[in-house]
This record gives sequence, C-alpha cells and structure tokens, in this order.
Amino acid sequence: MFLFQLRNELWKLFGKKRTYIGFLIFVLGQTLIVMLFRFAAGPGRQMTRLLELNGFSAQEYISTLTVATFMLFPIAYLLLPLFVSLVGGDFVAKEAEDGTLRMILARPVTRLRLLGVKWAAGAVFALFLSLALGVTGLTLAALGFHWGGLFVANPGEPFSVFGPTAGWHHYVAAHLMLSFKAVTIMSLAFMFSCFNVKPATATILALSFVFVNSILQNIPYFSDFTPWFLTYHLDLWRQMFTQPVPWWKIFQSLSLLAGFNLTFFVTGATAFFLRDIKT
Amino acid sequence: MIELEKVDKFFGRRCAVAELSLRVPRGEIFGLLGHNGAGKSTTIGMMLGQVWPSRGRVRVGGHDITMHRTRALQKVGAIFETPVFYDYLSGWRNLEIFSHYTAPTSPQRIREVIEWVGLTGREKSKVKTYSHGMRTRLALAQALLPQPELLILDEPGDGLDPEGIHDMRETVRRLHREFGMTILFSSHLLNEVEQLCTRICVLHQGQKVFEGALAEATQTRNWVRLNTGDFNAAVQRLQQNKLITGSSEGKFITLADGVGSERVVKILVEAGLPVFEIAREERTLESFYLKLMQDNAAAPLPLPPKN
Repeated sequence: MFLFQLRNELWKLFGKKRTYIGFLIFVLGQTLIVMLFRFAAGPGRQMTRLLELNGFSAQEYISTLTVATFMLFPIAYLLLPLFVSLVGGDFVAKEAEDGTLRMILARPVTRLRLLGVKWAAGAVFALFLSLALGVTGLTLAALGFHWGGLFVANPGEPFSVFGPTAGWHHYVAAHLMLSFKAVTIMSLAFMFSCFNVKPATATILALSFVFVNSILQNIPYFSDFTPWFLTYHLDLWRQMFTQPVPWWKIFQSLSLLAGFNLTFFVTGATAFFLRDIKT
Repeated sequence: MIELEKVDKFFGRRCAVAELSLRVPRGEIFGLLGHNGAGKSTTIGMMLGQVWPSRGRVRVGGHDITMHRTRALQKVGAIFETPVFYDYLSGWRNLEIFSHYTAPTSPQRIREVIEWVGLTGREKSKVKTYSHGMRTRLALAQALLPQPELLILDEPGDGLDPEGIHDMRETVRRLHREFGMTILFSSHLLNEVEQLCTRICVLHQGQKVFEGALAEATQTRNWVRLNTGDFNAAVQRLQQNKLITGSSEGKFITLADGVGSERVVKILVEAGLPVFEIAREERTLESFYLKLMQDNAAAPLPLPPKN
C-alpha cells in the first residue's frame, strides 16, 4: 500500500508542468555557465593562471569534470534551495488550498501515513534532482570540454586536484551528499507547509530560514558557532572535494542532518495533526 | 450509522457547533439543512475526522472517529460542494490516486464505476477538460470506488445546472435503491431535500433546531386556513361545537378528528359569520424551514469551555 501511495505522490509531482519548467531553468543555468566558460575569456583565464601558478597543466585540468563541478556551486547555493523549497512548500499547503486534501482526508488514511508518503516522495524527488543535475552538468560540460582531471577551487578552502578516475568518484559522491542538502531543505519547507499557511508562505519561510542561517554563519562574530548552523552541515557536499576527505566531519553532518529532518517532520506532523481541515 | 453525542466545536471563541446530538440510521437518506455558516460543513468535517470536536463524541459505523478513524471510514464515500481533482492528470489516474488511500483497487473495479457514472470514453482525458457535470460524476466515482455503505454529500448540487441537479437527484435515488446505501445529504436546496430525504436535521447557528422524519416536518395536523369576518368569534363558536382542537396565528384552525370543512362552514354561516376562504394548509419544507429560522433567530450561542 505504501508503495502504491508513494507512486501516486510521484505521479502528482511529475505530472505537473512546473516540475519540468523548474528543471529546465536548471539546465539553462548550466548551459549558460558552460558557454561562459567556453567562450568568455574571464573564468577560463583565471583558472588557467591559478593552475599554472601552482605547477599544474591547465590543458589537463580544465576539463569536463572541472567545468561540471564549477557550475555546481551557484546551483547548489541558489537554484537548488529555491526549487526544493517550492516543491516542499507545495506538498501539503497546495493540496489544502486546492481542496484535494479534504478529498484525501475523507479516506481511511491516517494523517501520519499521508505525511510519511508525501515526505518520502519529496525525498525521492530531491535525490532524483541532485543526481539529474550531476548528469546534465556533466553532459553539457562534455559538449565543450575534454575528459580529464578535476580541479576544484573550493571557496574558503585550499584548492584540490584529482586525476580523472578519482575526480569522477568525488564528483559522484558530492552529488550524493548534495541530495542530503536537497532533502533537508525540502523537509524544512515541508514542515512549514504542514501549518495552516499558503504554499508560497511555506516556501518563503524555508528560504528565509536557509538564507538567514547562511548570512549569520558567515558573520565573523559567529565564527566560533558555525557548527551550530544548519547551513554549515548543508555544505557537506563540498567536503567531498577536499583532500583528504574529512569523513568524520561528514558523518557528523549526516547524523545532524538526519536529526534536523526528523525534527522538521515531527514538528510538521504535530502541527498537521492538530489542524482542522476545512475549505 | 452516524452518531453525534453532545458535540461542540469552537474555532477560537467562535462557536461553530453547539451541543449537537444526531443519529443517522442505517439505510436512510438523511438531509442536513441550515443557512450558510450554520455548521453543516463543520459537522460533516467532524464525521470524517477532518475537524476535531472540542467536546463530545462522533461515531461512524460504530467506531469512534477520533480514536479509530481508519476503521470508521473504511466504508464511507464523500463528495464535497466543489469537486476538485488533480486537473493535470487524467480522470482514471485521479481515481487510482484517491482509491489507493482506502485500499488497492483493481482496474476492473475502476472501469465498472466509470461506466456506472457514465464517464466511459473520457476517463483517459485530463480532468481540466471536464465540464462541471463531468467533474461531479468523477467525484461520485471516487466516492463509490471503496463500495461504501455510507455516502456523505456536502452540497453536491452547488454550481450544477437544472439538468445536472436532476441527474444528481436520480443518482442518489439509484444509489439508495440499488445498493441500499445510507446517504447523508447536506444542501441549501430545500426542494431537493424534500424530494430525496426521509429524515432531516435543521441547524441554526450551530444548534440543532429540528431532527425527525420529513413527514413530521411537513405534516400539518389537520390545519385549515380560515378567512372569516371575525376569526376569534369563529374559533369560539367552533370550539363550543367541538369541531376544532386549536387555533393559531389568527388564521389557522386545527380540525378535530373526523371533522370536514363543510361542517365548519355550515356552523359559521348559521352563526352569521361570513366565510371568505377555507382551505387545507399544505406546509412545504420551505415554509417549515423558514418558520424554524424565524423562531430561533435570537438563540444565544454558548461560549468556549474554560481550560
């Protein structure tokens, strides 16, 4: 039954045009970055200088993997939170607004079960989105650049270089970790969506929470408290590009993100359980 | 089939339903009447476990809806005033989605129901291409899929044209006749209620002002409208002759058993009282309803319980 219901939620999600329009915007963004890298002098020249100053061959490292990873940064910080918040914010609030929630809750399904199915569909979507972005990023970069090593200029960290095989592994792992970020932001929007609010309100609240966290985390005054911020742990995908990979830090962030997800779900479920569902 | 026991519902300090006790017997077509904001939808919400009662108990099919919601709703179907669906999906897909919240449903069963409601041939079209009448039929299909014993219709005639209302009425009759379903019908359309329901409950500002058989509501107990030169003198004369058992509103008399209007006329004419009009009073549900509303216009609402 759970699988049937999960499949139905995915039908609802992937049946909407908006889902594909959002994804199209991602692909357009990625295309723009590849074109800038390929045809504008700025980004490529800067990277070449950085590589050559450190004794690396620009020819070898300005590659498909490097460009695909380069485009990951703006997407992970701007587009991904926006899109998963939109999806998460819609899950309950949009159905309540449209009236379909009342139709569903005329059925013998518990509210907890309903939320569980919806959250699971959101998690599947977030995972799919992160992996799909990895694939489209790599495909678009491959159209303009050769296969080679991976060079990552991780902001605030020393840069990293990997051979083609190791680089590929790190790229895949980073996207897997990125999916945890996507799931967590989706859960946050999902939690707000469970309250008696409009879908847009749930999305805005989730985005505000993430951006305010990010701003506070980057204020020097709070530098001693950075591990207390959600956004610090959401950045775990970036750790996959550091050498060596700080696995303990990643497991710590993963366990905290699991805790955040659980908290968001329980808070949302409690609010939803206490609510009266009316037109 | 449905039992409400001293149910209250407050939204903040506003009382939506007060001390409502109600019994919908199995096999009845039960009408829930009331003005806008009388508490009909809130009452239905409480029957479906969508709205939590502030006090009291709601049982559906013998199960407490708050404690055992899934068991209580196992054999319940519901349709709400404006049928809403996932417009970007097909009718068939919508039926699959809604029915899977009850139990896995076979394509054969979905096909049967689609045929029953008369949507065959349009089930694969997107719902956004459906007319209001087709949406109503789809809503009925989703309600019928779990083979319900109880069907709750919350203002199902809203937005339908006269033909659609007629179809809806016939469908309700058919459901009752063919499947013996218990039907709870909430509506503003008194004419529909009068034609369909066997029992009714009237709500006014969240309070029950009448519950009983429809016949009881429209029964006029030998009421006769009498228009005469002097109503009080006429009543006095008729009472002396034991022809009436009561009078009201300065124009109605209640005839004693076995008394016909010709005897009344005879006595009055013999007494020199002119009779301008005498006619049996036929009370419609509408006049009954309006009278009830008038009588209960100033009923005070209770305050929420202090915690």
